[in-house]
Amino acid sequence: MLEDIKGWLPVDAVVVGGRPGLMWMEMSGVSLTEPFFQQTVERARRENRAELFTEFDVLLQLEKQLESVQPSGFIFHSSRCGSTLVANACRAVSGSIVLSEANAIDKLIARFITDADTPVKESLYSVFLRGVVHALAQRRTYNERHLFIKFACCSFAQLERIKRIWPAVPWLFLYRDPVETIVSNIRDVPPWLIDNDRRVLSSIIGHASEMSLEELCARTIGSLFSTAYKLANANSMLLNYNQLSVPVIASVLNFFNVSLSSEELETITRTSEVYSKEVSGTRAFVADVDAKQKLASDLVREMSERWAGEPYRLLENLVNRVNP
Amino acid sequence: MKSDLIPGKHVVTTDFDGGEGIIVDLNTKKYYQLNETAMVVWKGLEKGKSMGEIVADITSAYEIPADHATSSVQRIVDNFQTYKLLGAS
Repeated sequence: MLEDIKGWLPVDAVVVGGRPGLMWMEMSGVSLTEPFFQQTVERARRENRAELFTEFDVLLQLEKQLESVQPSGFIFHSSRCGSTLVANACRAVSGSIVLSEANAIDKLIARFITDADTPVKESLYSVFLRGVVHALAQRRTYNERHLFIKFACCSFAQLERIKRIWPAVPWLFLYRDPVETIVSNIRDVPPWLIDNDRRVLSSIIGHASEMSLEELCARTIGSLFSTAYKLANANSMLLNYNQLSVPVIASVLNFFNVSLSSEELETITRTSEVYSKEVSGTRAFVADVDAKQKLASDLVREMSERWAGEPYRLLENLVNRVNP
Repeated sequence: MKSDLIPGKHVVTTDFDGGEGIIVDLNTKKYYQLNETAMVVWKGLEKGKSMGEIVADITSAYEIPADHATSSVQRIVDNFQTYKLLGAS
């Protein structure tokens, strides 16, 4: 059976018949070109590709059999702050694999919160997470040289556990003015903010009671800012949305130990001019700082200042000290 | 002299966090976490080392007397057998 599963990718972490495990899809010849991994999975699903459920132990066996690419860089973010633009730039690097918010990765990270109540389970989920990344980063064309992983925003709260698995991998944290971030999330509410299982968000904000979306969002991004402030070190890079430009993105890739060719830089310049999350890549990018600020309600401003204002300023001061 | 005990074909192991490891019994789907010493023993058995050779690995890696190492290795191997993780060579 393991011979048969080469070329398959774990596309989701699921529970089937009470058994936790992975859903795999036959992905031979499928390039991960869409801005998000799950968009690629949906495209493949429309081709009626075969799917298969296995328990997690398959990962341990595949780790010994599959050749894969080690991570070059991790991209973390506080939501709606340009991380997809950076991930798309990574995709322009020749021989790159970019795993952008892959369900199997971020759901396993969430299980650190929901299931890993003992040190043994924590180790187990760490091994599974390493195995899922190994399987997703398998060499399918043998031209692969770099692996970049963009995590879902809530996964940043588990940075210490992730770093325990990959201590040497450089990581980037992207963030943005909290007022603008909250406005964006309230206007187009993402799944992480409306998730019925509030254990993940409760763990991040340390509070479980009902509250407005504005407060929930403000508390969450404030907590993520604090995590970045606490854990930033020489192996990390902090980047504000308002600093994003092609030269800055190129410096991120240099930080990930990638030397860009002129062709790659040209591709990055071209892709950064379109809206980063659209599959077709035809919708133009429009800077929206002013628009977001104008749309902010009094409640957004109040929650932003109360829960995220101080952590944001601390982060900004830290960045200014590191990069005067 | 080689040990006549080897890891079962139904068992998969992986390193984690320095010297520790996780093993899974594919028959029962049970997972076991091994500490550094147990991992040294397991790897020794994988290489077909004798109990004496594994004890020597332990005493060279950790500053403990040979008799302590011998009893530790024996206890760990007994546990592997209790959980049916070993097969015969």
